[in-house]
Amino acid sequence: MNRTHPALIAGAAVVYLFLLGPLVVVVGSSFSTTTFLTFPPQGLSLRWYENALANGAFRASFVTSMQVAVGGTFLALLVGIPAAYAMARRRQALPGFLGLFFVLPILIPEIVTGFSLLRLAAVQVGIPVLPALILGHALLVLPYCVRVVGASLATFDFSAEEAAISLGCPPLKTFFTVVLPNIRSGIIAAFVLAFITSLNDVSISVFLTGPGISTLPIQILTYVEQFFDPTVAAVSVLLMVLTVAVMAIVERTLGLTSFTK
Amino acid sequence: MAKSSKASDRQGAAATWLLVAPALAIVAGLLVAPVANTATMPLTSGRAVALYQRFFTGAFNQAVTLRTLEIAAVTTVVSLVLGFVAAYVVARAPQKARSILIVAAVFPLLTGTVVRSFAFMVILGRNGLANDFLQKVGLASAPLQMLYTEFAVIVGLVYLFTPLMIVSLVGVLENIDPDLSRAAASLGATPGAVFRQVILPLAVPGLIVGSVLVFTGSFTAFATPQLLGGEQQTVLATLLYQKAMVSFDWMGAATIATVMVVITLLVVVAMTMLARRLNPATG
Amino acid sequence: MTQPLSLHGVGARYGTTRVLENLSLSVGAGELVSLLGASGCGKTTTLRLVAGFLAPSEGTIRLGDRDLTTLPPHKRDIGLVFQNYALFPHLSVADNVAFGLKQRGIAPADRARQAAAMLERVGLSALADRLPAALSGGQKQRVALARALVIRPPLLMFDEPLSNLDAKLRIDMRVEIRELQRANGTTAVYVTHDQEEAFSISDRVAIMDAGRIVQLDTPEVLYRRPATAFVARFVGFENLLPMTVSSRQDGAVMAEGAGGVSLTLDERDFGPIPDRFVLATRPEGLVVGPPGRGIPARLGLRTYLGRAYAYRCETPAGALVAHGALDAPQEPGAAAGLAVVPSLSAILPAAA
Repeated sequence: MNRTHPALIAGAAVVYLFLLGPLVVVVGSSFSTTTFLTFPPQGLSLRWYENALANGAFRASFVTSMQVAVGGTFLALLVGIPAAYAMARRRQALPGFLGLFFVLPILIPEIVTGFSLLRLAAVQVGIPVLPALILGHALLVLPYCVRVVGASLATFDFSAEEAAISLGCPPLKTFFTVVLPNIRSGIIAAFVLAFITSLNDVSISVFLTGPGISTLPIQILTYVEQFFDPTVAAVSVLLMVLTVAVMAIVERTLGLTSFTK
Repeated sequence: MAKSSKASDRQGAAATWLLVAPALAIVAGLLVAPVANTATMPLTSGRAVALYQRFFTGAFNQAVTLRTLEIAAVTTVVSLVLGFVAAYVVARAPQKARSILIVAAVFPLLTGTVVRSFAFMVILGRNGLANDFLQKVGLASAPLQMLYTEFAVIVGLVYLFTPLMIVSLVGVLENIDPDLSRAAASLGATPGAVFRQVILPLAVPGLIVGSVLVFTGSFTAFATPQLLGGEQQTVLATLLYQKAMVSFDWMGAATIATVMVVITLLVVVAMTMLARRLNPATG
Repeated sequence: MTQPLSLHGVGARYGTTRVLENLSLSVGAGELVSLLGASGCGKTTTLRLVAGFLAPSEGTIRLGDRDLTTLPPHKRDIGLVFQNYALFPHLSVADNVAFGLKQRGIAPADRARQAAAMLERVGLSALADRLPAALSGGQKQRVALARALVIRPPLLMFDEPLSNLDAKLRIDMRVEIRELQRANGTTAVYVTHDQEEAFSISDRVAIMDAGRIVQLDTPEVLYRRPATAFVARFVGFENLLPMTVSSRQDGAVMAEGAGGVSLTLDERDFGPIPDRFVLATRPEGLVVGPPGRGIPARLGLRTYLGRAYAYRCETPAGALVAHGALDAPQEPGAAAGLAVVPSLSAILPAAA
């Protein structure tokens, strides 16, 4: 019946070409034998991957990124899940602006947050680089944790919790045995979203990384400003592979359409 | 009975606050307090007026501010158009194609801003795909300087934010009851009229939400203008970074930070109010 | 203005699944025909075909002298009332009603006047400026009705329009729908799964099953003379007894059923009775009496219905449901004879 107009379909095809083409270019240029970045690649070689993996700075920054992403995400979930639960379960007991409060980390420009955290960590309090990065990233991803877990809790029927308590299960145990298993998919989704957001962050990390300690995106940024060879393309491809792996896990556990919710 | 239930209520409220407290502490301690501190830095310096005066009257700062606003506005409009076309087709596609197309939009979204901006360094560079193409078609005789132009920054930001627009619009368009289109058609509305009089007005809230996200995102973006614009195309975010980390003018950086926060909040509030006005059905 | 609708040899499929087969249906000008059946019987598919939201795989659909078969929905000029109302949430009640007039290029002042007049007719003038979100279910239904009627369509179609309303409102609304349809003399197709609703509102009812119309008749005929066992069960004949004629004498027919049950039926009550047939009775068409007459039965659970008692009965021919008088309640386990009331029974052709 109501067919979509062919011109619209063509338009959408162009948009998708625009979305995916550049990623193909990055993948292609990472295999080039040339010392400059070009597409289509000239020749075929893995030397830039060897170069990337042999580069101590990239390796160290990757380790830092993983530490920061895992640490920041765990911290955010640790404080975010109880908050989301309280807001879903006992909305009347809490003021309405609380939800807005947890959006602030997204609302305030990240670059401003980063600069302010730099002053806090480096000058006012004096926190070492790695803990500062973890705290900063926990703040950055907290809104995603609260929102995604909250969306999952919104579909949970709390009468199941009341039933468990009426059957003699203590409240805390009920939370772990009845509520948590039912919002498992929300927590996984929140973890993945937070992890990837943290892994890709530039604007906060750029202020908090210090001498000798850098996250991967900041290291790429620094490298690109000095050299323009396919090493960064190779690193980018490795990052994309990591993203694909994470997406595959999400797809397996939740289905990817959960991202549009 | 009544008394004890009240007491347990109070106890419940205290427990509730206890659950929220750690998250509140993080936002308050790591965001609200430091940002407030940054914002008041120029004010408490005793020369706030002079600082802001210098910022807004300096030709360079004015140019940077205007450029940032212009880049954000153009990026928003272009992503809105591209995103709407794609989202409209995606929302109407059969189930299977729809999932694939959503994945294809989400994947770039999950790829970092640095990687995605870097992609355009490769494409727009002197030996890049774009220059290759222009020379082959005969539109350029020598490689054009495309990198480090405002065009490059806008292309990079559109690339960055179109997927976000698609993802937020697909949800909105999918939620429009298909019976509404059918009802309109049964009342004699042509496909064009259905689109203009039913689909578009109902999509307005989504369009506004998407626009806010894209505008504030591109207004405050750092990595993309840094990589694709360089020093020639300084924007507020890169200027803040330079002041803070290169010239160690923290007072200047704090001044820019305040300007960015105020403009961002103004845009968010204005757009939210606009959304309320345009769609009373959701209010 | 009013026009007859005819479907001829229409088929439809979703993918490879056939949902409608060789369906033919004529609705006379000004007539209201209900499509009645369980979900999945093809009634909604039929409506979507006529509305143009689904293309038939074969057959033709005509409205008056127009061939609708391949016409796009917006050119069909059919007033549709949706199950979920499908009101435009961003438009006021008045603008919802005026929507179809706007598509027809009617001047703003004119369409405001016509919409206001139509709202007056459905008693919603006071709510003209409200948004649909601020209306109750019954009010939404009236707006949907007004919106479909105001374009003066030659055909009105209803897709389970009352299923989201509560029982009391449902009865009021169906009277209202019927009155408006009669007053305008508009041809109408009404889809429902509610037998009482279909019978009360329709000139004729098409009972559908598995993509076919099983029987199309007036409610009176359907109620008294179902043509098949499916229709009989659908309209409340709960007891079905397959029987074979053993002898005939002056219109009196002796027939035997399972378990040696034997009955005498009169062709003056039922019309000609074939050699093999199924006797269908309503619960109230089997009356509990003293043992020795009619169908021998042992009474089971008794339930109180207000106007009578209902009994579950064990008989040689199987389990049956019968009614008994209020002044003589029987205890479970009692022996009884069940008499057949011809006016509450029907003769069906034997299952092939």
